[in-house]
Amino acid sequence: MHPDIPKHDMRTAIGRALRIGVTVACVIAFIGGAYYLWRHGGEPMPDYTQFIPVDQRSEQTDYTSLSGIIHGVLNLQATEWIQMGVVVLILTPIIRVLLSLVEFSLNRDWIYVGITAIVFLVILMNSLEGAA
Amino acid sequence: MTTTILIFTLVLLVGAYLAGLLGSLTGLGGGVVVIPLLTLGFNVDFHYAIGAALVASIATSSGAASAYVREGITNVRLGMFLEIATTVGAVGGALIALWMPINAIAIIYGLVLILTAAMQYRRKVDHSGVVGSVAAQRLGLFGTYPVKGVGLVAYQLTNVVWGFLIMIVAGVLSGLLGIGSGVLKVLAMDCTMKVPFKVSTTTSNFMIGVTAAASAVVYIQRGYIDPGIACPVMIGVLFGALTGARLLKRMKVTLLRQIFAIAILLVAANMIYNGFTGKF
Repeated sequence: MHPDIPKHDMRTAIGRALRIGVTVACVIAFIGGAYYLWRHGGEPMPDYTQFIPVDQRSEQTDYTSLSGIIHGVLNLQATEWIQMGVVVLILTPIIRVLLSLVEFSLNRDWIYVGITAIVFLVILMNSLEGAA
Repeated sequence: MTTTILIFTLVLLVGAYLAGLLGSLTGLGGGVVVIPLLTLGFNVDFHYAIGAALVASIATSSGAASAYVREGITNVRLGMFLEIATTVGAVGGALIALWMPINAIAIIYGLVLILTAAMQYRRKVDHSGVVGSVAAQRLGLFGTYPVKGVGLVAYQLTNVVWGFLIMIVAGVLSGLLGIGSGVLKVLAMDCTMKVPFKVSTTTSNFMIGVTAAASAVVYIQRGYIDPGIACPVMIGVLFGALTGARLLKRMKVTLLRQIFAIAILLVAANMIYNGFTGKF
């Protein structure tokens, strides 16, 4: 028998986590964006008409790897700050999956603990495989 | 005259705001609208547009989901179960994107748009008295949702296997195009599994962020997500979606949706034509 109504405070926690995640992501991206515009706003816009694969770019870009993004954030690089905002945004739904895992565990809903764990592992493995 | 970064950013910010607004009012999601905005409006390469769409999808999904989850309309169990299908599909889609020519991806996007437009004209039947299947019951997928003036209404659902299979396709399209594929998600839940309309739309929205997150790291590493584009898109789409959610409570959008369906068809034709002539 599955308990039908999930714990109310858990639901509030999930809603709050989503809101905080999106807000923090936006604030970080906004700070990075403002700084980017202050430094480069007057320059002509980059050529976005042609996509250049990462390994063929003439300039080294830090914002295509997690270590590069962290490095850039610590060195106060505007583009990496923006990308850090994107990373926080990506983490938001992943944190939500983890909170659901907690919720299902609290309700002793073991089938769904398993299902949620599978979803989390798929995301995790894809991210780690990509990172390697 | 050359466009400066400042002007590009500000114009894109306004465009993204409108995309988020339209995406929210029509129920399409921000990602779908961002692609033509960038490729047709700003002449941006399709790869960057897909990256921006992914960012827009997560932003709108998480933003809106925070409100829906609290109201208790979303079927979290159903969403989580189907997310197995969408995340696995998304991983596959992101892999396919590696070798598939970008013009073919543009054509697929055009086809998704046509399906989207067709669904805007579909009559909405709110399923009642659906007899649930054994599989759905075993998985504990039945639920309740609040209806104004009535209280909690219980519902059952069916065709779990078909719903799951359609969700894999939805996931593949998400990984391939960065979009939330809300159309296919609703097709799976509303038309196939007979989930009440309100539940299927909010659960679909709730799933979009997780699905998009599954291919996001790969997108960053391939350089699809460019900070100069991602920043105005993320902020603009999010605020547009918030405005849209507020407006939705007060206005009737049926007419807007039908007018917009025609606009979608025009964009779809443009995408498919450009794809076949190799413009991307």
